[in-house]
Amino acid sequence: MSVPLLEVRGLCAGYGELGVLHGVDLRVGAGEMVAVLGANGAGKTTLLRAISKVEAAPRAGSVVFDGVDLASLAPQRIVRLGLSQIPEGRQLFGELSVDDNLRLGAYRRGRTERDESLRRAYALFPSLATRRANPAASLSGGEQQMLAIGRALMARPTLLMLDEPSTGLAPRVVEQIFAILARLRSEGTGILLVEQNAFLALRYADRAYVMAEGGVALEGSARDLAADESVRRIYLGAALDEER
Amino acid sequence: MIVFVLQLVVAGLTVGSAYALVALGYHVILRATRAINFSQGEFVVLGGLVAYTIVHVLHASPWIGLIGATAAGFALGWVYERIVLRPAARNGDIAVIIATIGCVYILLYGHALIWGSLPQPLAPFTGAQGQAIHPGGVAIQEQSLWVFALLALAFAALWLLFDRTTFGKAIRAAAVNPVGAQLVGIDVNAARAASVGIAIALAAFGGTLIGPITLVGGTAGIAIAIKGFVGAVAGGLDSPMGCAVGGLAVGVIEKLLAGWLPYQAVDPVVYALLLLVLIVRPQGLFGRKDAVRD
Ligand SMILES: Nc1ncnc2c1ncn2[C@@H]1O[C@H](COP(=O)(O)OP(=O)(O)O)[C@@H](O)[C@H]1O
Ligand SMILES: [Mg+2]
Repeated sequence: MSVPLLEVRGLCAGYGELGVLHGVDLRVGAGEMVAVLGANGAGKTTLLRAISKVEAAPRAGSVVFDGVDLASLAPQRIVRLGLSQIPEGRQLFGELSVDDNLRLGAYRRGRTERDESLRRAYALFPSLATRRANPAASLSGGEQQMLAIGRALMARPTLLMLDEPSTGLAPRVVEQIFAILARLRSEGTGILLVEQNAFLALRYADRAYVMAEGGVALEGSARDLAADESVRRIYLGAALDEER
Repeated sequence: MIVFVLQLVVAGLTVGSAYALVALGYHVILRATRAINFSQGEFVVLGGLVAYTIVHVLHASPWIGLIGATAAGFALGWVYERIVLRPAARNGDIAVIIATIGCVYILLYGHALIWGSLPQPLAPFTGAQGQAIHPGGVAIQEQSLWVFALLALAFAALWLLFDRTTFGKAIRAAAVNPVGAQLVGIDVNAARAASVGIAIALAAFGGTLIGPITLVGGTAGIAIAIKGFVGAVAGGLDSPMGCAVGGLAVGVIEKLLAGWLPYQAVDPVVYALLLLVLIVRPQGLFGRKDAVRD
C-alpha cells in the first residue's frame, strides 16, 4: 500500500481514570473498506471517537489523515478535512427536519455545494426525500440510519467511519445499507467499518482488524481472516451457523 | 373604570416587555447550556446603564444607545459564557447555580461602583420625557409604543434566526445533540457562547427599551430576573411564544393587582398565581408535556 489515507499509530485513549485503548495501530487506504471486529467492550467505539476527537481524546500515539497530523486539530477541523463518522446511536438532531439534518451535514460549505450534495443524498436515499419535512425523530430505525449516512456524506468525506450500522435493523435494510457502502467504496471513498456482525463485515471488507482489550489482536485480508480458525471459532461461529 | 383598567394594562405590557425579553433569554440559555442564568436581570440594568452612558455622557442618539447596549450585551454574554458558565459547568449543576447568583451581586455592586447607586433617567427614543398619545382617554407614552414594536421585532428576529438560518439551526443542533453537532463540524463551544451572547443581548436590549420609563440602574435587576423567570415558567420555558406571552402576562397581572391591592400584597399574589399554573399545567401554558422532566 502506498501512502495510506488514515494512519493510526500507538493510539491510547480512555475516559477519566479508565484507559481503554493501549496502543492501536491501523491503516486505511484510499477507496479501501476496512472492518474492525471484536467483542463488546474491546474498544472499537472508543477507537472511532479518539480518531474524530469527539467524546474521547487521544492520550498518546498519532493519527494522520490525508497527510495531516490530527493532534492539534479541533473536531470541526477534522470533519472539514474529509473525515466523517456515523456514530453509535446515530446522534441525529431529533427535533429538526430530515432536510435540516442533511443540510447541517454540509455546515460551513457553500450554498451551491450544499444544494448539490443534498440532491445526491436524496438520489441515494429516495425514501428520505418523501419525508424531508418530518422531524428526524419520527423516522423508522432504518430511515434514521440512512439519514445518518446521508448527513455524513453531505460533508463529502474521503473517509467514512461507521459504528455498527447494522444494529437493530431488518436484514433487508442492512443489505441495502451495505450495498450503498460498497458503491461508495467503488467511487473512491475509504470506509472504516466497526461491525458486530463479523460475517457481514468480512464479506464486504478488503481487510480487517480484530480488536481485543484495547489493542489489535489480529489483522489481515478479509478473506484470510474469514478462513482463520480462531476467528471462525470466536467471531463467526454463530453467524456461520445462521448462514447454513 | 374601563379607562383605568386599560391604563393599567398598558403599563403592565410595558414592564412585561422587559420580563418577556428576560424570559426569552432564560429560554435561549437553558436550551444551549441546560442552565438557568439568574443574573439575567442585572444585564437588563447593565444594558440601560450602557445606553445611559452612550446617550447622556457621549451625547449620541438614543438609537445608537440601543444598538450599542445590545451589541455590548452580546459581547458580554459571549465572555460570560467563557469565563463563568463554562468553567462552572465542569463542576456540576450546583456550581452553575452558585456562579450565576454570585454574578448577580458582582454586577449589582459593580454597577453601583461605576454609575453610582441612584437610578438615572434615560432619554426616550422620540419626543420629550413622558410624551404620550391619548386614544380613547388612555395615556400611552410614545416610548411604550417603541417598547411594543421593538419587542415584536426582537421576537421576529429570534424566530428568523432559529427557524430560517443555517447558523441558527446549527445552534439548535448543538443544543439538542452536542455529539452529533461536533460530528458534522459545528463548533459546539462557539454555539453555546453565541447563545448566551444572544440571551444577554436580549436583556440589554430590554433594559434600554424600558429605561426611559422606569429609570436605569439601582436594584431593580433582581425583581426583573424573578418576574421574568415567573413569566418563563408560567408560559413554558421550552417555548419562545410561551416566554414572551408569560412575561407580558406577569407585567399585566402585576399592574392590575397594584391598581387595587396594597403594594405589599402584589408580589405574593403573583407568585400564588404562578403556583396555580404549575399545579394545573406543570409544563407551562405553551410548553410541551415531555419538557417537564428536563
Ligand atoms: N463514555 C464512556 N465513559 C466511560 N467508559 C466508557 C465510555 N464508553 C465506553 N466506556 C468503556 O470503555 C470500554 C470500551 O468500550 P467501547 O469502546 O464502547 O467498546 P466496543 O465499542 O468495542 O464495544 C468499555 O469497558 C466501556 O465500558
Ligand atoms: Mg461499540
